[in-house]
Amino acid sequence: MDLVPVLPALRAVIPGGGLRPGTVTGVDGSTALALALAAGLGDRWCAVVGLPEAYVPAAAAFGGADGGLDPMRVLLVDAPGRRWADVVAALTDGCAMVIVRPPEEPPAPVARRLTTLARRNGCALVTTGPWAGAALRLRVEANHWAGVGDGTGHLRGRRALVTVSGRGAAGPGRRVWLWLPGPDGTVTVAEHEGPARLEALAG
Amino acid sequence: MSRASLPDAPGPGGPGAEAPDSRTPGFEVPSPGTPGAEVPGPGTPGSQDSGGPGTGGGAGTVPRVLVVWCPDWPVTAVGLDASVPAAVVASGRVEACSAAARATGVRRGQRLRDAQRHCPGLVVRDRDPDAEGRLFETVAAAVSTITPWVEVVRPGVCAIPVRGAARYHGGADRETAEESLRIHVQDTVVERGFDCGVGIADGLFAAELAARTADGGAIVPPGGAAEFLAPYPVTVLNRPELADLLPRLGIRTLGAFAALPARHVASRFGADEVRAHRLARGLDVRPPAPRPPHADLSVATEFDPPATAAEQVVFAAKTLAERLHEALAAEALTCVRIGVEVTDAHGRTQSRLWRYDGGVVGRGHGGETGVAGRSNGGEGGALSALAVAERVRWQLSSWEAPPDDEGVGGIVLLRLLPDQLVPDEGRQEALWGQVTISDRIMRAAARVQAMLGHQAITRPYPAGGRAPGERVVRVPVGDLPPGPAASEGRWPGRIPDPAPAVVHPDPLPVRVTGADGAPVTVSARCAVSAPPRQIEIDGRVLPVTAWAGPWPARERWWDPARFRRRARFQVVTADGGARLLVVEGGRWYVEADYA
Repeated sequence: MDLVPVLPALRAVIPGGGLRPGTVTGVDGSTALALALAAGLGDRWCAVVGLPEAYVPAAAAFGGADGGLDPMRVLLVDAPGRRWADVVAALTDGCAMVIVRPPEEPPAPVARRLTTLARRNGCALVTTGPWAGAALRLRVEANHWAGVGDGTGHLRGRRALVTVSGRGAAGPGRRVWLWLPGPDGTVTVAEHEGPARLEALAG
Repeated sequence: MSRASLPDAPGPGGPGAEAPDSRTPGFEVPSPGTPGAEVPGPGTPGSQDSGGPGTGGGAGTVPRVLVVWCPDWPVTAVGLDASVPAAVVASGRVEACSAAARATGVRRGQRLRDAQRHCPGLVVRDRDPDAEGRLFETVAAAVSTITPWVEVVRPGVCAIPVRGAARYHGGADRETAEESLRIHVQDTVVERGFDCGVGIADGLFAAELAARTADGGAIVPPGGAAEFLAPYPVTVLNRPELADLLPRLGIRTLGAFAALPARHVASRFGADEVRAHRLARGLDVRPPAPRPPHADLSVATEFDPPATAAEQVVFAAKTLAERLHEALAAEALTCVRIGVEVTDAHGRTQSRLWRYDGGVVGRGHGGETGVAGRSNGGEGGALSALAVAERVRWQLSSWEAPPDDEGVGGIVLLRLLPDQLVPDEGRQEALWGQVTISDRIMRAAARVQAMLGHQAITRPYPAGGRAPGERVVRVPVGDLPPGPAASEGRWPGRIPDPAPAVVHPDPLPVRVTGADGAPVTVSARCAVSAPPRQIEIDGRVLPVTAWAGPWPARERWWDPARFRRRARFQVVTADGGARLLVVEGGRWYVEADYA
């Protein structure tokens, strides 16, 4: 089965350069990171379920010249309610990625059904909520915002410290600084910063 | 469909005409009589078995069709007269040429250089499919004065069903009725200034060839399509591979091809060749539906008492359209057009045909028409119930002021008829080069809509506005996207990029205080009372580490009811969050989150 592609910059946090269909990737602390996962889909479709606040165009430029998440290839289901699992099940057929925030942690049989369907249909699941069986967990631990002063400037970009965990992770506990996005609007790996500075930011 | 580009001119000079006139040089009209003689099909000793020509083409199975064919339409569409030697070219080859050019030896498919050698004074234009579609609407509109059920096969060719129309035009018998209809249609189109041929036959294919015969078209009697088609060369099937292969097997005419037993064709060729074989036998491409689709798949609702409010009818239309869509989906069909019939309390019926893949729908939305004649209403081929309801509303509004006295008197019946049923192939051209929604995606979306309702699944379309939340509108899948509104252009006061990843559907109230703990205010002149030092959301107090703003926005100052004066700030807090705050009337809200 082909991997669901991700942006080159995210290969630093996604082992194998893509998400295996049927796997669940948990994203904590950043909707932008969840959208960034979908920014490498190219002409594949993506669905966003149960995140009415997610602003899809934010990821449109994440890929730079390669483009990002094409809003025209996104389906939004803002209020799936109790039927969220059926909605996700339907959308795995056709979409290469479904980003979902379940209203509660999915019971094991439901989670199993969804991952089986997703694997069969070549779809990767990304969740911003609790999900026990998530193969990979990405967490934004800290943000460093650039461009804003004390009443001056405007936001230009941020460096986000992403930690990778889960059984699908190549090196658990891996920490990567990403521009999410950078001043040019793209997602790239940010150069390493000194540990002292890191701790100060994470504090 | 492959018919979309039949050869330019098999032309007048049909089977009977031994000497093709000047409009058809190069088109060899074989003498009738050959078909029966040579039937050397692959491994076919005889041709008696299985539906030879004529057997299956009875009048009962294939509908009578009238085709209006405007010769050399691509040339007409670019505004050139038939008497001018002219050619329309695309990528260096002649796509169509005028009669005058043809007389000098210019041919379709020729390289431009060769064509210019034949005709040094050749007027050359680029092909303009957009103009072709647009101009042909004039012809379609003219024909629609005779019957509303006009099908535009492609620019240059349109068809109407003969039944009904011919009955309306009367006549002692079928022949005179059809002939008077044919003449009437021809006169109607010629009156609008377009040369045309009009033919009537069983099925579209034969009717189009009949329209191209000499003297402005002919009538092929019911059941006579196979016989009529027999002398035509196999090239008219417009299947180049078949046209290459068959002559090498000694099969040069449709008659000879038709004489091959259908099961042999099916066993040796693919589905497309079987379709071609059916055409050659004078049968419609599609096997006739077991039931007349109109009677079976149309849906109607009655209003008792009569509906007097348009809203009531429009609402019913939406439900009806959903039912129709389900019925079609169950038959794995989709329709190109939808007929809407409205009957009022006086028994008057108004019917109109709304196209889903053509320019007619686009007329309602200024700006949509110029899309290669192909703007479409409901994306994805699925008829959006709302789009249908919208058309019903248009139709009703056109009826609101009837020319006569006492008005409509209420609607008693609304009927939707699927028209131009085609197998659902799950393909639809995109609008303005937008992303085409595939069959698979459409199906997934339809399942979600079945669970949660039509509005539950949406696509984000760009829109104009300053706040991020205003820059996107969510449009239910299958509905008409918003027009290309003010999405482009400058929005002074727009928050600079990057865009926030989270835009709260309902802005969260927030308390913003300065160093002294007093709420921060912004004056009418956009002066900030004190730098914001901390914000409080849901009882959580977050120290502010950096901030920017204000960006003032006086929105819709021209409209007192919707006028808003607000100011926006970007605020970074110690927890690593960055938020877009908006203050309006002294109240602060979190509008968006850069999380």
